[in-house]
Order: sequence, then structure tokens, then C-alpha cells
Amino acid sequence: MDIGFSPEETRFREECRDWLHASVPTEKRPLDAADAIGFDKAWQRRLFDAGWAGINWPSKYGGRGLSIVQQVIWLEEYAAAHAPWIGANFVGINHGGPTLILNASEEQKAYHLPRILKGEAIWCQGFSEPGAGSDLAGIKTRGRIEGEELVINGSKIWTSFAHVADWQELVLRTEEGSLRHKGLSWVICDMHAPGITVRPIRKMSGQTEFAEVFYDDVRIPLAKVVGGLGNGWKVAMSTLSFERGTGFIADQVKQSQEIEELIAAARANGMIKDDRIADSLAQLRAEVAAVRAMTYRNISEVLRTDQPGPEASVIRLFTSELGQRLERIAVLLMGEAIIDFAYGDDNPVGDYLRGFAATIAGGTAQIQRDIIGERLLGLPKSR
Amino acid sequence: MDLTPNDEQIAFQTATADWCRDNMALEGARARPDGLWAELEAMGWMALTAPGMDLDHATEALVFAELGRFLAPIGLLSTAVANRWFPHVAEGKVALALTAREPEPLRVLDPAGSGAVLMGEPGGLRLFDLPDAFTDQRGALHKTPHTPTIDLSTLQSRHEWTSSLWTEDDPAPPLHLQLLSAAYAVGCADASRDMAADYAKLREQFDRPIGWFQALKHICSDMAVRAAAARSQLYYAACALGENAADAAFHVAAAKRLADQAALDNGRANIQVHGGIGMTDEAAAHLPLKRAHLLQFIAPAARETLLA
Repeated sequence: MDIGFSPEETRFREECRDWLHASVPTEKRPLDAADAIGFDKAWQRRLFDAGWAGINWPSKYGGRGLSIVQQVIWLEEYAAAHAPWIGANFVGINHGGPTLILNASEEQKAYHLPRILKGEAIWCQGFSEPGAGSDLAGIKTRGRIEGEELVINGSKIWTSFAHVADWQELVLRTEEGSLRHKGLSWVICDMHAPGITVRPIRKMSGQTEFAEVFYDDVRIPLAKVVGGLGNGWKVAMSTLSFERGTGFIADQVKQSQEIEELIAAARANGMIKDDRIADSLAQLRAEVAAVRAMTYRNISEVLRTDQPGPEASVIRLFTSELGQRLERIAVLLMGEAIIDFAYGDDNPVGDYLRGFAATIAGGTAQIQRDIIGERLLGLPKSR
Repeated sequence: MDLTPNDEQIAFQTATADWCRDNMALEGARARPDGLWAELEAMGWMALTAPGMDLDHATEALVFAELGRFLAPIGLLSTAVANRWFPHVAEGKVALALTAREPEPLRVLDPAGSGAVLMGEPGGLRLFDLPDAFTDQRGALHKTPHTPTIDLSTLQSRHEWTSSLWTEDDPAPPLHLQLLSAAYAVGCADASRDMAADYAKLREQFDRPIGWFQALKHICSDMAVRAAAARSQLYYAACALGENAADAAFHVAAAKRLADQAALDNGRANIQVHGGIGMTDEAAAHLPLKRAHLLQFIAPAARETLLA
């Protein structure tokens, strides 16, 4: 066991730091997804041009082909430099792309992966439905096979960035009358195809980041199926393991910054003299340290065994709840200023309100607890 | 960077767990056999990082987490620290004193058969003589009886302060003690988690194992999360201490804080999962809870260190 980095990794860290120091945009990222799209695409393109996109992606698709440890180093430095959230590129970079790398055909990879890395193609996730949020196997959106095409009907919901997306990782039922996790397919859906209607949903924080998506006889070529017809459940599970695992390293790194800022703020406004506040901050600082340790441990495990295990759910659950505790205390430290919150403002209230998503999206905290209980502790399956 | 145990470390870990299972079952913690200390000494656990042993804190932390899982004697912690830092001063069993203020008598843990007592303080360490009896200034003889603590595996006695045999101003020895006690607490949290999960698979209500019900399953999952966070931070802290990292004091304190909390919260949750039987004397669920309470007082994490 060691927490040190090799000379090569340390050099890489310095390289990251130097570039970020010189290149992080000075203007802030707009909060609303539609307003931010230009910003997100331009920033991603800049990252790509300078060789910082897809650090651990295969080089033949435009990545750097470096190690996952270097990916972590990059993300640590990225957060330290206060670089902007990747925003609309989140789905493509963090789980669409990795899912394609693992499951897609050579042709699919060659077309989509470079476009994701360059920020040319925005992706969204089409998993949840009005009647099937946490119960992913209960989806009803169907794709009828007609010749070389799928004809899609149904709807999806809570689709982040749907109104700015070009492509969607869409899970649907391609086998008529199939039940639960059988007969599903994972499809690359063209969001510009005729028959797709996107209806944005406004969040309680005032932003519009997710939407409902309706499919009315949408025709998608069968060649867009990833991992084979009927294998959608397996492919979707790999997507979720990315979503719950490495996809959240960036958030975890961000938390280490937030706690330092909160301690500094509490010192500045004198609230640190309150024993309860000081104790909460001490506790949170210990927990944030533990998140890094858990991440390092998980990455070491992945490097050793070559696959993310159910421990990813442990990190996901711990991190999402920790993030909410940080957001709660940030609001507490604001005092009365919380009342001044107005829609669209970039302040701790916005983070606090948006943060409720953390224990809902990508499988609720309760679903993560089911996974931990069943797969890690071997308790009987409830469902 | 690698925060998983290597093959050699896994071998140490497994061997410790196997030995403990066969010779020091948790269920027997109420009354340990007299010869246990000699056996533990023979296994070499109290000198893992002593000079010449060539083992690191990470390996030691893994081993102590296993020992902690079986509620091993508290004296192992102080003896291991004394053997590493003061090999020429301390001999045999070294008991552990909780930090106290003069002139209150010293509370000494696990004293039976100890030749000396160690007390860690922030930034330093003291070693005292430990007489079984002493004569006060008026010439009266006092015996120092060993009495139980809330932790049924640990005895304590009260001693008047004597002058230190040895005092050292060095932040490393108290950090070592804090790390090993964090490892004990991680083991304690693991013990409660495993006991709860095993019981939830076995015990049936409403015609199914109670672990099927999410209300119970989620209690167990939270125990696993707390134990995992504490264990990861323990590994990180052990490495930081081993490398003399500038922020080692913070990481060791964070490990102790999370481990203490996990031990206590898991101890309580375990009793809830066990239901009525969990609060009886005959069941073992109360043993890790009581140990967790004791561990809170051993090298606790200072808030100032966590906020420094």
C-alpha cells in the first residue's frame, strides 16, 4: 500500500497544473443548460485540442490512452484549478463513451467516440420513464422491428440535457411482450430524428437541465443497436457502473475544495466559534478525506481486478449524501442571506437546491442501499 | 498509488483472522483465558513495527483491524507503541493510561500483569512505573484492584501519579497509538456489521429472512458504508504516517474519528437488527458496542487537528 505517485505521474500532474493555470476560462459557466451549451462545447473542444479529453480512452479514438491513475490526477488538478463543470458533455464523457468503448461495434466507436471527445456531439441518457424510474426493468418504451429499422414509441423523463442533445443512450423494449430485463436493447438514438418531441422541465432551483422526451414512430436504423438486440440490460448495467463509479470522481474531488472553502468562510464570519458548527466542519473534513481514500482504494481495486465492483455503490451513496451535508452547512453559514436567493443566481442556495438530485439520479440512495445489502453483504433480494 | 493490500499483507491479514477465530473468539471476550497474553506475544503482534522488523504501518494497521474485530486486549496497542519507540525502556506488557489531569488518579486499562503503563498525549508520550500496590505519603498501603469497564474484555485500575520513567516530546508515537486504536475501531465496526448481516440472513419473520425487508437491509447497508469509509481512511492514514507526510496528523485523526463513529453507530445498529435477543447478556451483540464506547476514550481525534 502506498499513497505516493511515480516520478512520471508527478511530472504529469505538473503538466496538468501548468496547462490548467494558463487555460481555465475566466468567465463563469452559465447555469442553465440551454445557455451553457456554447460554453460547454467550446471548453470541451479546447480540452481536446490540447490533449486533455479522454485521458484514459484508447488513443485510436482520440483519447490519450493513459492510465486511470493519470485520469484521477487530471481530475484532481482540474478541480484544484476551479475549472468549469463539463456540463452538457457529462453523459457522453462519463458514461455514454465508456459504454461504447466496452460494448459497441468498431464502426460505432469510430464514428461516435471522437465526436464526444471533441464536444461536437452532446449525449443524453434515455433510461427513466414516468412509470419506471428506479425500476429500470419496468420500462415500456418499445421499438418495433420493421426491416432494417426500429420504430420507436413511448416516452422518457428526467433526461438531462435532452433539449440540447444530438444523441441519446436509449434503452427500450425491442421484443414484444417481453418481461422485466429480458427483450431490452440499448440504442444510439438520433435526437434530431422526426417524431421526437422534447419538453423541458424546470427545476426547483430555477434551471432547466432535464426534460421529458416523447417518441412518435421514430425510425432508427438497427445498426444503431449497441451490444446486440435483446442485450440491453447487460449494456445498461455497464453504463450504470460507470455512472456510479469513475463518473463521479470529479464530484468527489470538488468536495475537497468545498470543505476548505466552508471552513474559511466559517472562520471569516466567526461562526466557527459555535461548537456545533466547528464540530460539523471537522466531521465533514474527515469524511471528505475518506472519500479520496475510498476513491483511491476503488481505483487500485479496478486496476488489480479490471472491473468496478459493488463498492462503486458504496462510494456513490457516501459521496452523494456527503455532498448534501456540505450543501446544507453552506446554506447554514449564509445566515439570513438565504432569503435573498433569486432564480438563476450562482450562490450556495442554487447548489443546495440542485443537490437534491444527488440521492435520486442514477439510482436513488435506497436503490444503492439495496445493491450494497444484496451484493456486498449477501442479503436476500427484495425484488 | 495503490491502496489495496499486496499479497504479503493479505497473508498477514488472513493469518491473523484465522488465529483469532480459533483462539480468541469474540463470544469469549467476557472472560479471556489467563494464558492469552503469552500466546499473543508469541505471535509477535506487539512488535510488528519494532526496530529490525522491517514492517510498515499499513501492514500493522491491517493486522490490528483483524485483532480489533475479535476485541483483542487493549494492552496490545500500548505494548506495540512502546516496543516501536522505546524498545530499551519497556519490557513485557505495557498497559494503557487514558489521558487525565493531575491530581485525579490515572485510569489504567488492561493492567493485569503489566510492568509499565503508557500514556499518549498530543505531541508526546509518557511511560510510568506500574506498581500493584503503593504506599502513600502517610505510610498507608494501597492495593490497586482491577475492576471491570463497560467493555467486558478490558479491566482497569486506578493509580496515583508517579514520576514518569520516560517522557518523550515526539508527535510520532501518539500518532502511532491513534492509528492502531483507529484500526481496532475499524475491526469493531466490521464485527458489528458482519454479526448483523449474518443474523439478517438467518432470522425469519413473516415467513422470510428479515434481511429481505428493506427497513432492515438498509440498516445493514449503512453499517457497510460506515465501515468502508473508515477502513479506506485507515489505509490512507497508515500510509501517510509511514511516509511521514506533512498532513499525517490530520489523516490519522480523521481515521480515528470515522472509525470511532462507525464502531459506535454499527454497535447500536447491530443490536436493533438483532431485536430482543440483541439486548440480552447471552447474545454477543453488546460486546462490540461496549468496546466501541471504550475506544472513544483512547487517543480520541481532536477537533483542532481536524480543522488545522
